[in-house]
Amino acid sequence: MFKYLAAALIALLSSSAPAQSTLKYALGDVVSIDELPLLVAVERAKKRGVNVEVTAFKSEEIATQAVINGQADIGQGTPYAAVEKVNVPIRFFYQLSSLQFYPIVNKEFYKSWKDLDGQEIVVHARGSGTEAIMNLMAKQQRIKYKNVSYVPGSQVRAVGLLKGNIKASILDASNKNYVMKEAPGKFIILPLGRVKASDEALFARKEFLEKNQAAVAVLVEELIRVNRQINKDPGSIVAERKKLGLLKDLPAKLEAEILPYFKEGVETGIFPNDGGGERAAKNDLEFFHLSGALKSANTKVENFWTFAPLKAALAKLK
Amino acid sequence: MAGKSDVAGRLGWQLASFAVFFGLWELAGRWPVSAAFPSFSSTFLALMEMLRDGSLGRAYWLTLQPLVIGIVLCGVAGIGFGIGMGLSRTVEWLTLPVFIILQAAPMAALIPLITYVYGIGLASKVLAVILLAAPVIVMNSYKGIRNTHPSLIQMCRSFLGTRRQEVLKIVLPHAAALIFTGLRLGLAMGFIGIVIAELLITPTGIGDLITYHSSVADYPKMFAAIASIVAVAALSLHALERLERRLFP
Repeated sequence: MFKYLAAALIALLSSSAPAQSTLKYALGDVVSIDELPLLVAVERAKKRGVNVEVTAFKSEEIATQAVINGQADIGQGTPYAAVEKVNVPIRFFYQLSSLQFYPIVNKEFYKSWKDLDGQEIVVHARGSGTEAIMNLMAKQQRIKYKNVSYVPGSQVRAVGLLKGNIKASILDASNKNYVMKEAPGKFIILPLGRVKASDEALFARKEFLEKNQAAVAVLVEELIRVNRQINKDPGSIVAERKKLGLLKDLPAKLEAEILPYFKEGVETGIFPNDGGGERAAKNDLEFFHLSGALKSANTKVENFWTFAPLKAALAKLK
Repeated sequence: MAGKSDVAGRLGWQLASFAVFFGLWELAGRWPVSAAFPSFSSTFLALMEMLRDGSLGRAYWLTLQPLVIGIVLCGVAGIGFGIGMGLSRTVEWLTLPVFIILQAAPMAALIPLITYVYGIGLASKVLAVILLAAPVIVMNSYKGIRNTHPSLIQMCRSFLGTRRQEVLKIVLPHAAALIFTGLRLGLAMGFIGIVIAELLITPTGIGDLITYHSSVADYPKMFAAIASIVAVAALSLHALERLERRLFP
């Protein structure tokens, strides 16, 4: 009798045990305007009973470490190399945005890709997406750089360009706009074919994703909703920020950049309506293999991505 | 005979200490304390690979340039300043507060500021080395001069020695040991300065190996780069300490 009662009690407890309602989210960057879609989704998920605690770390590596060691549940970034090497199964499950970078040169010295043959360029870091883009273009244009220097941070490279220390580099959208505004007519943006790889993606331990399907699905659903809303009307994010009181202490100068940033993003299609999925996974593996971050040539998608959370969320949204 | 066995015994204890440390490291890596913590054996193999493919050699060539330039500049100007401060009250009043503040300031917070003025090249890294090494070198030279035994100076004066003779024959030889200690400690600070600069300003040399291997999750190579700079710094300082003991027994 007692055995049956105990079994019934255990069954009752395990069925009624809620999925983890607090997700610890590790971000390897300063929370700024490009994180607004995430912040909006976090607020909406909270209303549905899923708390997402966002912690901003100094770098993507530290955020990745936090996920590997189990101190954070979900990480943001593209640590493909870590996922390939570390013996803890980590999987990507959602693409927040794809890469949006602009090769920029000082007009006084260079005017086209061909002019960069045998010249020095400056990118973010060794093995980074920015280096991969520049290498990809060198391959396409059949040119060879003399030297590639590393200066982390688009903002730092933007200052370097304006000061004249850097003559050719690659910047993100907001810093490209800043440089073009500060020194009109001094720089040229070199044409770039569409790079489809992820700029920011979400990843977590496989085991965590399996155990917390419900909570993760709520967050993914809300992220997709926000992206769809932005793609329909970029101005919606500005209104939503005001309504929810997000990034209240943003300086006026940056506040004015919100709308242009999202308009440009929508035009170049960096916010996926479907969370990236298999298309993003394929593009990423190709791109990060080319960048040198992924060493193995025959990388299998299922060793890097899991599509179950995204499929569950998309099914609910249709 | 007893001396020889003494040396052997000491060496044995030192080797045992290394063996225990590396053994614990190996255990911690195999346990593992974290998925990102490599064992000693994998780190050692990574170090050998980096030596073989030349990446470690190239990194040291880049790291040692600003370090050597910075230490040479500090050695010449810093000792000069220290001696000046020790010999002249005016120079002391003018410059002592600057070096005391520099010695107390948290340098890791100041180094990123250098980039605003000196950009991201070699000059910034040399300056980072100088900012860390100079206060120690200057303060030691200054104290060495100031702590000259007064009876020695009185003796020089009672023999009608000139000021020049007093400085060259009494004060400087007396302060030499402390000045040399300052140089050794300055080099230790210089190693800290160059690694901070390479991690915080732009990744070059050893800083590049650490950040790159960390970003591609090659933890054995990242640990090997860190362990190598620790070993190079420790061995350089040990060599200088032995030289110091020989020069100023």
